[in-house]
This record gives sequence, C-alpha cells and structure tokens, in this order.
Amino acid sequence: MLSSRRLISAGLLLLATCGSAWAGGIDARAAARQIDELLAKEAYGGSADSQAAPVARADDETFLRRLALDLVGRPPTPEEVTAFALDNAADKRDKAVDRLLAHSEFGENWARYWRDVIMYRRSEDRALLVSPTLVTFLAKAFNENAHWDAIARKFITATGDVREAGETAIIMAQNGNAEDTTAEVSRIFLGIQIQCAQCHNHPTDRWKREQFHELAAFFPRIAVRPVRDGEMRSFAVVSVDRGGRDKDKAKPRRGALEHHMPDLNHPDQEGKLMKPVFFVTGQHLESGLSDKARREKLADWFTGRNNRWFARAYVNRMWSELVGHGFYEPVDDIGPDRAASAPHTLDYLADHFAGAQYDVKWLFRAITATEAYQRDSRSRASSEATPFVACATQRLRADQLFNTLMVALGVEEGGPPRRDRNPRAMLATPRGRMNATFGYDPSNRRDEVAGSIPQALMLMNAPELNRAIKASEPGSMLSQLLTQLPKDEALIDELYLRCLAREPSARERETCLAHVAVTRQRAEAFEDIVWSLVNSTEFLNRK
Amino acid sequence: MKWHLRHQVDVSVARGGAVSRRDFLRGISAASIAAGTLGWRDLVSLEAGELRKAGRACILLWMQGGPSPFETFSPKPGHANGGETKAISTAVPGLEVSENFPRVAAAMDRAAIIRSMTSKEGSHPRATYLMHTGYLPTASVKYPAFGSIAAQQIAHEGLELPAFVRVGGGGRDGGGGGILGVEYDPFLMPVAGKLPTNTALPTSPARHDRRLDLLARLEADYAATSAKQEVSEHRKLYEKASRMILSSQMKAFDLEHEPQKVREGYGESQFGLGCLLARRLVETGVPCVEVVLNGWDTHFDNFPRVKELAGQVDQPLAYLLADLAERGLLDNTLVVWMGEFGRTPKINPRAGRDHYPRAFNVLLAGGGVRGGQVIGKTDEGGAEVEDRPVAVADLFQTFCKSLQINPAAENIAPNGRPIKIVDGGKPVAELFA
Repeated sequence: MLSSRRLISAGLLLLATCGSAWAGGIDARAAARQIDELLAKEAYGGSADSQAAPVARADDETFLRRLALDLVGRPPTPEEVTAFALDNAADKRDKAVDRLLAHSEFGENWARYWRDVIMYRRSEDRALLVSPTLVTFLAKAFNENAHWDAIARKFITATGDVREAGETAIIMAQNGNAEDTTAEVSRIFLGIQIQCAQCHNHPTDRWKREQFHELAAFFPRIAVRPVRDGEMRSFAVVSVDRGGRDKDKAKPRRGALEHHMPDLNHPDQEGKLMKPVFFVTGQHLESGLSDKARREKLADWFTGRNNRWFARAYVNRMWSELVGHGFYEPVDDIGPDRAASAPHTLDYLADHFAGAQYDVKWLFRAITATEAYQRDSRSRASSEATPFVACATQRLRADQLFNTLMVALGVEEGGPPRRDRNPRAMLATPRGRMNATFGYDPSNRRDEVAGSIPQALMLMNAPELNRAIKASEPGSMLSQLLTQLPKDEALIDELYLRCLAREPSARERETCLAHVAVTRQRAEAFEDIVWSLVNSTEFLNRK
Repeated sequence: MKWHLRHQVDVSVARGGAVSRRDFLRGISAASIAAGTLGWRDLVSLEAGELRKAGRACILLWMQGGPSPFETFSPKPGHANGGETKAISTAVPGLEVSENFPRVAAAMDRAAIIRSMTSKEGSHPRATYLMHTGYLPTASVKYPAFGSIAAQQIAHEGLELPAFVRVGGGGRDGGGGGILGVEYDPFLMPVAGKLPTNTALPTSPARHDRRLDLLARLEADYAATSAKQEVSEHRKLYEKASRMILSSQMKAFDLEHEPQKVREGYGESQFGLGCLLARRLVETGVPCVEVVLNGWDTHFDNFPRVKELAGQVDQPLAYLLADLAERGLLDNTLVVWMGEFGRTPKINPRAGRDHYPRAFNVLLAGGGVRGGQVIGKTDEGGAEVEDRPVAVADLFQTFCKSLQINPAAENIAPNGRPIKIVDGGKPVAELFA
C-alpha cells in the first residue's frame, strides 16, 4: 500500500515545477500533498465522528503570524501583514515561506531553539559560556542551508575552545562526561533514550545495558579542560589520546582511554572493557583507536542512510514544532517500542527528507505546505483525541515572545547580547531576563508547559514594559500614534495589527471603543488597551 | 484557617468582582455557604489532611562554597589539621564548637550537629544540586529541589505568596521545581528588604482592576474560537498573580514594620535581613525559605575568611532560633544550616582548605529535632567518619520526617519514570528522640 503511494509520488515528482523546492529528491510541495493524503487515510479518514474531522483552513492573517513566528521567530510587521493581505496571487503562501526562509532571522530563530534543546539539559551553569557561540554557529549554519547531517557531524566530532566553536555545546553541557554525552547525542539526533539502559536492562525497551555502554565507548577520550587566555576564563573540548589510566581503582573510569561498563555488584572495580558498537546498525570499531577516528566513524554511522532514526528524530521534532502535535511525544523519545500517530506519514516524510540529503529548508517547505499545517488552530486540550485535524496552539518560546514585544511596542533590542566571562551576566540583558522567566525546555511536551507567577508579574508590571506602553514617554509607540491617528477606530486597528498581527473583530473594536468612552482620558484608555493586548493569551501563543 | 478568611477578604477587596469570589467559593461545599458560616469542621473535611501539616516549614541557610567543619561546628583543637581555630564551650556541657560561633554556642541547647555527613561529590555545581535535591544531576530527569517538594507537599491552600522563596544567590545549580513544573520553582529574592521583582503595580489598584476587566472582555473572541483552555488557564494565573501582589500577606516582604529591637537582633547584614525575611515568610505560611550566603570556597586564607563569614551567620542564626521559639514557631519549623561539602583536613600551602565531601557537618534545629546533641564523629584529624555516617539520602529522609512528608511518594518525570521524593536512606532517628 505504501509502496504504491511512493510510485504516485514519483509521478508527481516528474510534474513538479517549483525549482526552489527541489533538493535532489522529491519536490517539497508535492510531498506535502502526499502527506495530507496519507494523514487522511491513517489519522482521521473515514470517521463519522465530527470531532475527528479536519477543521477549516486558517485565514491569511492567522497563517502569516503562525508562519513568521515559526520560521523567523517574530510576528509579521504591520507592513508585512498588509502586503500579504493585498496579494492576490494563488501561491502567496508558498512565496511567503520562501521569503522568510531566505531571511537571516530564520537561522537565528532555529539556532536559539536548538540552544534551548541542548542547554536546558546542562549539568552545570558554567556551560552557559558556550551559549552565544552556539547561537552564532547554528544561525550561520542554518542560513547557509547546511544540511542536518553536516550539523550533526559538527556536534559529534567537536573540539576546541567553547568561546570559538559553538558545536562543542553538547559536550560542554555535559561537562565532557562520556556517558552523559552519549545519552544526549542519542536523544537529540536519534530520539532514542538509550540512557534508560545505562543502569539496567529496561523492561519495555529492547536496548540492553551493554548497548548503551558500547555507544559510550565512542566517547571515552573526550574531556572538557579549563583554558586561560589572559583575563578571560574559558573551557575547551579536547581529545585525550595519551596518558595512562588512573591507577586509583576507586575511580576506575576517570582518565581511562577506553570505556568500561561498571559491574553493578562491584562498583569499585574497573568493570568490563567495551568496544565501540553502534546499537542501531551493529557497525563497530576495535579498541585503541584515537578519539578523532571514533567520533568521525560514529558521525558517519549516525547520519548514514541505513540509520532511519536520524531522519525520523529530526522530522518528528520539526513536525511537532510546526503542527503542534508530534507523531511521537515527547519528541525525543521515539524508539522502536513506542507507538506513533500516523506512522506511515512519518516514514514517508523522513524517507524523503533523507532523500533530500537532510536539507533542512526542504523539510520546512514540505511541512508548511501541508493542509495539516495550514488549518485553523485548536488548543491541545480539545484536539487531544485526534491529532492533526487542526494546527495546535503553541505557547511562544521566550525569544519569540521577546521579539513579539519588540514588534508590538516598536522598541529596539539595543545591541547584541553581551559576552562576558561570567555567563550569568548574559542573563542580565532584557532578552536574558525574558529567557530566564519565560524559557522552557522545548523537548518537553508542549501541552505540559505551564505559565508561572513571575511571568504574569513581568508582563503586568515590569517597569521597562510599562514605560514602553506609556503615552507620556517620549518616543513611545503610543506617544506617536495618538497624534498620527486621531480617529479612535483607526488607532484600535493599528494596535491590533502591531500586537496581534490582525484586525480586531467587530466585537473587539466595540469593546475598545466603549472603554475609550468610559475612561474619557484618551491616552489613558489606549494605554489600557495596549496593556491588555500585551497581556492577552493570544499574544503569548501562536495560533 | 486564618489564611482562608484573609484570602476571602482579599479576593473581594482586590478584585471587587463576583467572579473571583465565586471561583473561591466553588471549592467550598454548598451546605456551608447556605448555612452562612465557614466552620472549622468544614475546613477540616475540605482540607483532607492538609491542616495537619499546616504550619510545618523549613528554613534552609545555604552556605555556598562548602564551609569548613573545622572552623564551624567540628573544631579539632590540638591536632595539626585543626589549625589555629580554638574550641569554645557551649550551653550544652561537653559540647564544643569553634570560637567563630559564640552566640550559636550559647544557643546550642536548641540545635543539633551532624558531624558525620558524608558524600562523594566534590564539584560545586554537582554537589550543590545533590544537597538541594538528594540526587545527582542527569540530563534526562530534572529532580526537584527539596524546597519545591515542600511547596508541593505541605503548602497551605490559603497561601497567596509563592510557596518556596530563595533569598540571595542565583543560578540554577540549587535546582528548582524540575519535574514538578514551574509552579514549584523558587521565587527569587535577590536581596531581602525590598519588594520582590515586578510586584509593584505601575498603576493604581483600581486601574489594574479596570485593565483586568478589559483584558477579560477582549479575550472572549479568542476563547470562543480556538483556545478556550489556554484563556481559562491564563486568566487563573493572572488572578493568582494579582491576588498575590494585592494580598495583605505581601507585608511579609516588608521588613520596615518590624520592631527596632528585632531588627537589631538579626543585625543589619544582608544575611541577617534574609533570616528576618525567612521568619516573616514562614510566619505567613510559606513552607520553605532558603537564605543563601556565598563565599565559603576558602582555598586560600581560610582562617580569616571563615571567621568573617561566621561573623555574618552567628548572630542571625542564634537570634532566628530564639525568635522562632518565642513565637511558638520553632517546634514546627526545621532550620538547617549547611553547604555542599566540607573542606580538606590538611591545610594547604596557601593557608586554605580544598573541597572535601568525605566528612562534613550540618546543623539542624527545630521541627521536632531535639537540640543539644551531636550525631556521629570523625577521627582525630577529621579526615574520616568514624561513627554513625549520615549519607545524603539519610539527611533528606530526616527532612521528610521533620516536615511530615512521605519520602516514598512518587512524582512522574516527563519520560514516564516514577521518581521517589527520597531514594533510599533512613532518617536519623536519634535527632527526634
């Protein structure tokens, strides 16, 4: 059944004409049509239940805000919303995707996303030193359209000063610990939580304890070492290919050139010598090889076409971010013993992503072109039963929220984030404060991310926010708009456009007008309106 | 009970609206409303065991950096490892502490010392995490700090303030809500004596109310189309936040109203103010407050530096115990003084001491702990635990016993793993004898 569908898609491939969506494999938008067909079959087709029926297509305003937040990490500007609304072209949604993918903010947005994926699992705060470099490295990679296999290879084989080589982030975040690094590369690049087998054979997973430690045997020679370079303190990820084993049997695994699986009954002993074996394919190396040789081989095998988990993990994660519901949830636990919603759809998309040489932008084009992505949204609470019939409402990540505030209130960030020897100083920037208050681990199930009191307090009361809202503050958005737009209705429309990237409904306009009338003080009334929009649920979410 | 009543008053004053009050009343049986009274019995059945634990609290005085046992509560005078530090007698015959704590010495009948704490973790961040959560850090499970556990397990429903407050300090090594969620993260107070961040309204309360009303009306369309659940949760959060900042309980943060005599008792140091704030918060119903004092990482010049740090702790700690006792709060409030590890018995060439988790000391008072006793001992040079080793899990079991928290209760990590509040260990029963 699936193979016949693949033949159909091959036929569509011949018909496809949009060059920019090609990437050595099937056209991304043709793939999108296949995905919608597959989903109709295996996710919500043939059911009489109205709850299971797909909802309508989202309107242009909703679509554009969603797309801009997803691709470039900020809402569309009022100019972008207007231009999009006035465009009558049939393919304007595709064109908007291409335009945003070409924007430098695209790389920055997804760089910050992956920074959170990696750094929320850091074992120590000092690892934050690598954060700015990580964002710079990834932003450049995504904007140059480095493919996902090339990016993964960089992370797996990284060495160097963490202030210069952002790809050292995964290892730095785990402080160079071989077992924790093993767990993280498996989780991030394969979606397999092999560390569950670290201590015991897991009752419901097929991977055995030995297999975890065989994977860890690719990493025994990595280390994080302090670097002193004048006043700046830093760290470097290094290969340790020389130097004897620690003679102290009380610390059998410190400084060892090979990995040993601890004997659970005799934890003080050295344990069993493990050879590097990749559990998915069984490919293996002999002991004694250099750190470089081990990690380069592992990168080959991780990203090889015979390892399907590599494409599936990335596809599942990106689908979940965009459509709001993963095939597997949580996104980083997709092992062979987990059940997927719509498994054939995932397979189809993952196989073609691999066929497109892991071209990240190809995948964004494919997913954003699906009806599943372009539908109206529902909250996860109400669409729990049938995934993919609607796009799920997503809570903004802290950086998206910060960018949204800047667009809404017309303020500038004020220079790049500071790089400081003390990583905590980076948190002292406005963006850093927002991240500290609103940030969350993006690998967690999105419907489990909850709001907190300090978040509400920040949006309600933060002095800098309220200054930016104030009409009497020189240069503030309201101080200008109040004179530029003397008609209340026009001003209300403008504020909705800036804050929520849409026009107000008739009822919302009425409510605002009534508020202005009751308040009598025009400036004060509009401050209240801006405050309410900035503090609204819709502002914090992307539909 | 008083929290409940105050809560109700605040809701009606602050929000001025029937909606909030209705939300509040929804939790109470219709019968008691019909009767027009809110009796003790209603509350008892309503709280289902919560009230039994009400009033239990914990104050953690966290000594970041790892305090030397030799210069604090386990001096070794006469041994080369003890250095120049002298021992002094205390209110308890035969029990001696270092000369750096004269006031705590005089209050030793209220406090117990564990001199046989032992762990294996000698790196600051990992040990800090371990001593806050009872677990070593992993990439897959974010273990909750004990303060977050206390917030989850024993906070009173009527509490309008955050249930876990961390005064001073910063960074994440001390942990937060972890798998329990952001609701249980510590509420951070960078300095005591000021209002917490973003709790001052930029407008009058009346205008804030007007804004909340406008917000609610403007949300109606969004709620009706696609995000009913989100809007409803958002609204509850805003009501909770507004209730908090308009609550009379916020007075706990304001140290100005404290009598001069009491302020002098705690001293004017930041740490002293932190201890005073901790007492006020506990008195208001906050189940866990952590007060952080940095600077104990004394790799060089150990002796003058510890003397100076001890000088910041001695008076506030002694006064805190007396103040809690005078207010009848000490029996229900566990006070813990500790850091992430101890320091090397051998004095290094820079007159400092390095990290040493194998043997260190913890001071405990209140919360059912019988004062005036010493648990365990180290050998002559303070290098090895000789008697009654206390592991980290044992210490956390002890916290649970004092706070009447079931240590075997499980929370579920996002990856589906059940995580016990404390994994293994046994409480140090002698402390409660």
